[in-house]
Amino acid sequence: MQAFTDLAFATLRLTTPIILAALAGLLSQQVGLINIALEGMMLAAAFAAVLGAFYAQHALVGVVAAVVTGMLVALVFAVFVLRFRANLIVAGLAANILALGGTGYLLQVLYQTRGAFAPPGLRGLGTVHIPGLSQIPILGPILDGHSPLVYVTWVLVILTSIFLNRTVTGLRVRAVGEQAEAATTVGIPARRLQYGMLLAAGGLCGLAGAQMSLGNLQLFVYNMTNGRGFMALAAVFFGQAQPWATTLGSVVFGFFDALQIRLQTTVGVPPQITQILPFLSIVVVLTWVSWRRYRARPVAA
Amino acid sequence: MTRTVVRPQWVGELGRSFVTFSAALVIGALVMVATGRDAWGAYRTLFAVAFLGAQNLADTLLAATPLIFTGLATAVAFRAGVFNIGVEGALYLGAFAAAWIGFTLTGLPAGLLIPLAFLAAGLAGALFMLIPGALRAYLRVDEIVTTIMLNYVAISFTSYLVNYPYAVPGLANAMSPKIALAAQLPRLLPPSQLNLALIVVLLLVPLVHWLLSRTTLGYELRALGSNPIFARWSGVPVPAVILQVMLLSGFIGGLAGAGQVLGVNYRFVDNFSPGYGFDGITIALLGRNTALGSLIAAVLLGALRSGGATLELFVDIPKDLILILEATIIFFVTAEFVLTFPRRRHAGVH
Repeated sequence: MQAFTDLAFATLRLTTPIILAALAGLLSQQVGLINIALEGMMLAAAFAAVLGAFYAQHALVGVVAAVVTGMLVALVFAVFVLRFRANLIVAGLAANILALGGTGYLLQVLYQTRGAFAPPGLRGLGTVHIPGLSQIPILGPILDGHSPLVYVTWVLVILTSIFLNRTVTGLRVRAVGEQAEAATTVGIPARRLQYGMLLAAGGLCGLAGAQMSLGNLQLFVYNMTNGRGFMALAAVFFGQAQPWATTLGSVVFGFFDALQIRLQTTVGVPPQITQILPFLSIVVVLTWVSWRRYRARPVAA
Repeated sequence: MTRTVVRPQWVGELGRSFVTFSAALVIGALVMVATGRDAWGAYRTLFAVAFLGAQNLADTLLAATPLIFTGLATAVAFRAGVFNIGVEGALYLGAFAAAWIGFTLTGLPAGLLIPLAFLAAGLAGALFMLIPGALRAYLRVDEIVTTIMLNYVAISFTSYLVNYPYAVPGLANAMSPKIALAAQLPRLLPPSQLNLALIVVLLLVPLVHWLLSRTTLGYELRALGSNPIFARWSGVPVPAVILQVMLLSGFIGGLAGAGQVLGVNYRFVDNFSPGYGFDGITIALLGRNTALGSLIAAVLLGALRSGGATLELFVDIPKDLILILEATIIFFVTAEFVLTFPRRRHAGVH
């Protein structure tokens, strides 16, 4: 039982940055833009979070710095894709390389280190204890005592769902994703919505980065996102850019991530094998989803 | 009377790549100046280390060798409009396959062992691409996500192989046993490690060019890349072409791994690639998805890479600067505002 609650607790914690980045990915997808840059936005934000929290001696400043940085990377990506018509995939990869090189360069110029950066006295996000929650059996120990961003994330999932399905702007966003030209014809400012969604995606990835470097751990490590952004992107594909289905996908992948860490420490399976799990699970799940869609396809006339 | 000057397309393309490269250097200089580093000195060092003197030039070509392979591997896929990001994974599996041949079939003569190792590497890379290739071709599973995910799988899997079944006891870093002497590629210009792999890849360049421009597969993949709908209606067997392109890309990616193992490391070393496969993306783009373009772009990037390490050692500039330059190059090369501004204006989104 203890093992189960530990695993569930870890899943919830590790899933958080993936869900946040996946929400970012789905907002981009909803305006017709596959967002490869999630990884880079998260990485740059994770770095900015540590810097902000360290210099201001306050975790909240770190979170703000992360959100702003995520949005800045998103802005560069957006300008190249929307204004200069850069190829979406390629510009996304470039944004990721820029974030990796930029953080690595600054890490070395500012702090003379190539690996981990954990300044003494860095304030993390801390944990939230909801009164009475920990008394509930099973659910209590799983849900109580996370970083505040874990709870914020689930609120954001609900808000994203309401935004897309229940608001006028959300409806317009979906229209742009369906058919940008048609949406423009009926007076929807497609371009502006695309900029807006990409910037929102940058902000969400900022939160994801902050959770990684101030919540799950209190340090920045070179290339610390290590594929989380791509896991999030896979979750978007899995959930076909629908908020709840995408969140479910993120939880599945987050679970495999938590499971691999657990198998490594308890059963003694070689880490190289357990590290394969989350990535392989993504390929299997995407194949299964596509297979079902393929089976359900309308018969060509 | 006005005369229209008809310039061949490649002149514009070349000019574009040149402008892109210069723009990246300017931005890199701004970064260095902003962080209190001597940009002019850095570039001078970079140029000297990359091109001046036979040994320096040899080291640049040495750094370029795997990049030419991965550039070609990526270019054939991109040319068909297939966004194969999995060359890195193919490179790892190819490298291990070549090493395995090299340390297992030790009795064979060089003339047999080396071609066999290259062949095994190519097949390993192709086999790896069979998964995302078939998924993309027949089930329309997005190849970008699957290839990125499978890269992690391939890297971890080879890491497992050299940490467990093929681990060599007593070594600090995980690596396979050393390959037979007969499997080691001869050096071209000692003491530089530049080796026969360069010749292999230089032979591959015209071969890929011929394949793209003179064969049915080449025609079909170009048709697919420029207009998938037209290609399908004009009878191109789209799924078969996609699969073949992925296999070919994986095969060339596998050869890249073999080149490094047989020519430089003489073993499979855990996590040995600093991202050769991903650099292939930059190179293919900068080389406009052509064989010759990839060759030139790979040498340029090889120069940056070979100079980057020196920058860190002697001028105190982190070699991550090279990544910043690379990102800038990619951004600019894919944007449509350098030299070709009025060419295409379409209202749609991607």
